[in-house]
Amino acid sequence: MAEIRTLIVDDSSVMRKIVERSLRQAGLDPLVVYEANSGIEGLEVLKSKQVDLILSDINMPSMDGLEFLRQLKAQNLAPGVPVVMITTESSEEHVKQAILAGAQGYIRKPFTAEQVKERVLSLLKAAV
Amino acid sequence: MLFNGVRNSAIATSRGSGEKEMERAMPVSMRESLELVSDPKNLDETVDEVFKMLGIECQRDSGPVNMDPESVTAVVGFGGLLSGACLFKSNSAAAMKIAAYMTGMEFEEVDDTVKDGIGEIGNMLAGAWKGKVPGLAANCGLSIPAVITGRDYNLHVQAPEFKLVHAYKFDDCNFEVTIICDGIQ
Repeated sequence: MAEIRTLIVDDSSVMRKIVERSLRQAGLDPLVVYEANSGIEGLEVLKSKQVDLILSDINMPSMDGLEFLRQLKAQNLAPGVPVVMITTESSEEHVKQAILAGAQGYIRKPFTAEQVKERVLSLLKAAV
Repeated sequence: MLFNGVRNSAIATSRGSGEKEMERAMPVSMRESLELVSDPKNLDETVDEVFKMLGIECQRDSGPVNMDPESVTAVVGFGGLLSGACLFKSNSAAAMKIAAYMTGMEFEEVDDTVKDGIGEIGNMLAGAWKGKVPGLAANCGLSIPAVITGRDYNLHVQAPEFKLVHAYKFDDCNFEVTIICDGIQ
């Protein structure tokens, strides 16, 4: 199986570790993880690295997840790569905003490894 | 300790995330749902969900919560239809143990990773708790978590609308989660 290159954007380093562990538990192996602690850093990573999947928080200082999504589109970075938002914000309005900004999936914190597996694997299959 | 900083940040977050859509979805008043908002069961379910994600089985504890030798507090402000805060508070040993569950690492002091982890616990507790009340999830913003460490500090809010303080235990540790509402529209 080809390696799955994943960008995890979250201002919490602990949460980035938890997301990575959940991806491994979901059976994503071999997995290559790039980390960014804000939307700005995420954009920088994508200028030099190709990825197969992006997971991003929404509430972050400096550049939040929704603006990160808008900038991805505006700068034509990672076209066709599925983006999943992982966030504590769970209202329909927040989901709608994320979808409008370009997200393909949405996972609410707290989450289980099973939920991550369900959302992420179907998106990766669809993207192939 | 005053909430103004975290609360203003939460209000800004609420405003920044699609104000027009928010206005459309905004109910006339949350005050009519005060009983639902202050339902203690929501807090217990929230704590259960957040800690289960980390593989920790928590139970309600009768307290008092051990805060020696030093306590660690995460504060996440609410702003919008409801203003106030969600607080997680434990001693340093419990905070390090929770961070160990989160990261798979061992800790000997409350370093930046432990603070980061406890801040994220506060964030998830606040987000999951407000998500349990219809109308609140979309109309109440969250601040970025603030984490405070030290000894002998107290939190005081004048005349809150309601305050829930629940203690929980896991392994040989315990902690406290507080929801304070000091304004509801």
